[in-house]
This record gives sequence, structure tokens and C-alpha cells, in this order.
Amino acid sequence: MAAISVQGLSKRFGEVLAVDQLDFEIDQGTVAGFLGPNGAGKTTTLRMLLGLVTPTAGTATIAGRPYRDLPDPARRVGAVLEASGFHPGRSARDHLRVLATAAGIDPGRADVVLELTGLAGAARRRAGGFSLGMRQRLGLAAALLGDPEVLILDEPANGLDPEGVHWLRGLVRGLADEGRTVVVSSHLLAEVAQTVDQVVIIDRGRLVAQSTLAALTAGADRTVRVRTPQPEALRDLLVARGAQVTVDGPGQLVVAGATTEQVGQAAAAGGVVLHEMRFERSNLEDVFLEVTGRKGDRS
Amino acid sequence: MTRLVRAELLKLRTTRTARALLALAAVGTAALVAAVLLLAGQPGQPALGPDALRQLVLVPAQPLTLAALVLGVLGMAGELRHGTATSTFLVTPRRGRVVAAKLAAAGLTGLAMALVSSAAVLAVGLPWLRAKGVAVAIADPGVAARVAGLAAAVALFAVLGTGLAALLRNQAAALVVGLLWWSQGFERALTGILHQPGLERWLPMGAASALTRPGDAHLPMWAGALVLAAYGLVLALLGGRLVARRDLT
Repeated sequence: MAAISVQGLSKRFGEVLAVDQLDFEIDQGTVAGFLGPNGAGKTTTLRMLLGLVTPTAGTATIAGRPYRDLPDPARRVGAVLEASGFHPGRSARDHLRVLATAAGIDPGRADVVLELTGLAGAARRRAGGFSLGMRQRLGLAAALLGDPEVLILDEPANGLDPEGVHWLRGLVRGLADEGRTVVVSSHLLAEVAQTVDQVVIIDRGRLVAQSTLAALTAGADRTVRVRTPQPEALRDLLVARGAQVTVDGPGQLVVAGATTEQVGQAAAAGGVVLHEMRFERSNLEDVFLEVTGRKGDRS
Repeated sequence: MTRLVRAELLKLRTTRTARALLALAAVGTAALVAAVLLLAGQPGQPALGPDALRQLVLVPAQPLTLAALVLGVLGMAGELRHGTATSTFLVTPRRGRVVAAKLAAAGLTGLAMALVSSAAVLAVGLPWLRAKGVAVAIADPGVAARVAGLAAAVALFAVLGTGLAALLRNQAAALVVGLLWWSQGFERALTGILHQPGLERWLPMGAASALTRPGDAHLPMWAGALVLAAYGLVLALLGGRLVARRDLT
């Protein structure tokens, strides 16, 4: 059963059609990357899913119901959104105790999730003095309060240092291993590629691709990178066999349309010396730019 | 609903604003009452009589109603200003219930402020009056009525502030409008333009005066409380509808 289902979802803000007839489903127990360039409509979609923004048309449901109709939503869905803030004068622990009280959750959970997100040491500090990374952690702590089976994280890596990103990846993987459904939005495919099973890619408010990560990258071009002291000779040999060759620095060739075996055979036949040869999957970002039709207009 | 009210009260307890306002209600009232008692009997000041306690109870009424109004505005508009509205509405997607809980929490805090203030009046006023040989009865129903009226007025101003902030959304705007209204500028201008001086007692500040300055010029206390509560209810309903409908982006 789909944990999350979006059907014909649209949102118009005045003249701007932020989300346009979006359809996708995310299966229970999967980690899904919700991807798209900045301004693609990711945040608006997630906010509609969470009942914070009213759709112009269509439906967005979690476990078969609109968020606003979920009984005890905090126990079912945890969300970290970019604009969610904290009262600067309230401590991290008090912030969580307030949310727990409203949700009917034991306020003692506040200390558990503070520990889980590495904030136990700052629990009694006023949130106004928190760094961006600490705010992200506090947002995650709030999302985990109700021990929910669905987690929705909007650009959770923003503001985290490399160590924080690594920690986040481990946390998401751990949550997924417990059988939870996790949706992670990002404008960078590479950021989530190590974590997600499934991807939903949108651009300009429309669905561009919905598939497994493996299927997405399988269709991408593969190339062979070769280092040789005789680049011209090897290039001629390979071009004669129908491969596309580009020179990438002194003594470096990037070969498309040939396998490593074919490149090795061509080199042996022509008596060309090879120093290095390796198979390269094309850059994930290139795949991403290709599906969103933005390859070439990187600004 | 109880847990939402408890959450809203916890919000108020865990920041400095409400604690400071409560402390101010106690200390400020004590200082005001002491000042009135010190000046009593001086040229131009009324002498202390058997009804002194009735007057003293209402001495801090103006600052208290203002403080309660500000408290209500901050409690509601602060959620949007600090971005806590997102997590609040994620936990309670039925936003009308959040607004209702905020109205209740603000009203209860206003009530507490008024009661703390009245306690300070008694704590300072009673021994002082006794020492000066002024006979006052604590069991005076006039005193009890004024304590109740003050409590109603202060609680309702907290409710009005909450409703106003829900309606205007912006904290600064709600504070400015609330302050202008509270200073009676709006009401005087309105009654002046309409040439209807009799209208004033039906307007919010006029109705509040029935509670904070009871006398012949105003409505009876109970009617003043009802009129003020009606304004609070209308503001809260309009504001609550807006809060429930608006997109939180």
C-alpha cells in the first residue's frame, strides 16, 4: 500500500502555478528522494501533503487520508520543514515539551529525542542562540517526538556541516531499517543518492520522473576513461570502431559507446600502451540535469 | 482540547514575557497602591474613606488591561513571527482548536494577572489603612464586585489581543492597532464623527470602562462584561477563520 499518494495535485499562488497536476506514490517502508531544482515546487507539495497549504486542485494523502483528517498526526507523521522556527527565548527541551503536551505524548520523550539527535548537551539552552545545524537537529528531534512511521524531511542537509550530513545519512538509514517511510527532498541528487531507494523528480511543478534510483541511473550513458602515452593513435583506432572519443586533458581520453573489453582489444590490435583504464558511470548530477531538461543551462 | 490549553499555558510559562507580566502585575500594583496611599489627603488628592479599598482595587486597571492586550497579541502573532506556527499546526492541523486554546490560555493568564494584582492591593492596602486608622471591611461586596470586574476586564483584553493578532497576522500591526484603540483614540474619533456621544459606552473601551471605572456614565458592570466579551468573540471568530484558511508557506 502506498504510504503517500498524490493525485492531480495543483497549487496556484496568484499568477504562479507552483504545482501543476502532480501524481506520484511512495510505498510504505521505502526511502524516497523528492528531487527537483530550487523553485520546482517541492516545498509547496510537501506543505500541501502536511495540510499547511490548501491545494487549488487534487488530493494528497498519507496512509489514505488527508493530513488534516489523521487522528493523532504527530504519532503518524514527523516533518522537518525549512521555515519551521523556534521561539528564541524558549529552551530546546521546553520547545519539545510544548509540542509533546499538545500531541498528548509523554513529555519525557523530549529527553529521548534530544539524546537521539545529539542535542542533550544543549537541551536547556535558549534556541535563539542555536546554529543552523543545531536548529536542523532540533527540527528532527521534534519530528521524532511521536515515533512516527512516516517522516518527511524538506532539505534536511541544509546548514549541516560535512560531519552533520554524514550523521544525518546514518540517522535516515537507521529510521528506514526500522521499516519507516522516509521522504527526503533535495535539489542535489548526489546528496540523497546514497540513501534513497526510490526517486520522484519534479520540475516547474510537474512530475518529470518517478522510478527506483537503479532504473534512473541504468539508462544513463556509461563511459570508459583511458590514460595512455599515445592518445592520438588510440583515438583513431576507437573512432574507426564506431566509438565517440573526447580528449580530456593530456593523455586522457573519455570513450563513449564502447566497453572496457572493446577498448582493450583496440589498443592491443594497434600496439598502443595503456597506463590506466576505468569504467565510469556518468555523473548523477548529469542524469538529474538531463531528466529535468536543464542540461546545458547550468547557471 | 484540555491538552491544547495546557500546551498553550506551557508556552506562556516557558518564555519570559508572561512571567515578566505577572511579576509586573504584582510589583507594579504594589508600587501604584503605595503611591496613592502616600499622596492621599494631600491637596488635590482624595482623602481615604471607608470606600478606599474599592478605589485601590481599580488603581492598576489601565496598565493591567494594556499588559493583557499585549500578552494576547504576542501569544498569537509570535507564532507567525518566530515560525513556530508550522510545528504547532503540524501537531494540531485543526487550527480553529489552536486559536480556541490560545484564547483560553490568554484569558486564564489575564485572570491570573488581575488576581495577583488584587492580592497585592490587599497586601499593601489593608495594613496601611489599618495603621492610618481607616476602618475598611474586607467583606465589602463592593470590593468583591470590583475585583471580579477587574478580573473579567483583564482576561477579556487578553482575549481581544489574541483575536486582533489572529485577524491582522502581523505582530507590529496588531500592537499598533491595539494600542491606538486602547488609548481610546479610535472611539473618540468615531463618536465625534457620528455625533453620537451615547454610542461610546457600547464600543469596546467604553464597555471596558464599565468594569474598570464603574459609575453612572457607563453600562452596568455585567452588561459591560457581556459587551466586551461579544467583541472578543467576534474578533476571535473572524481571526480564527482567517488563521484556519490561510496558507502557511
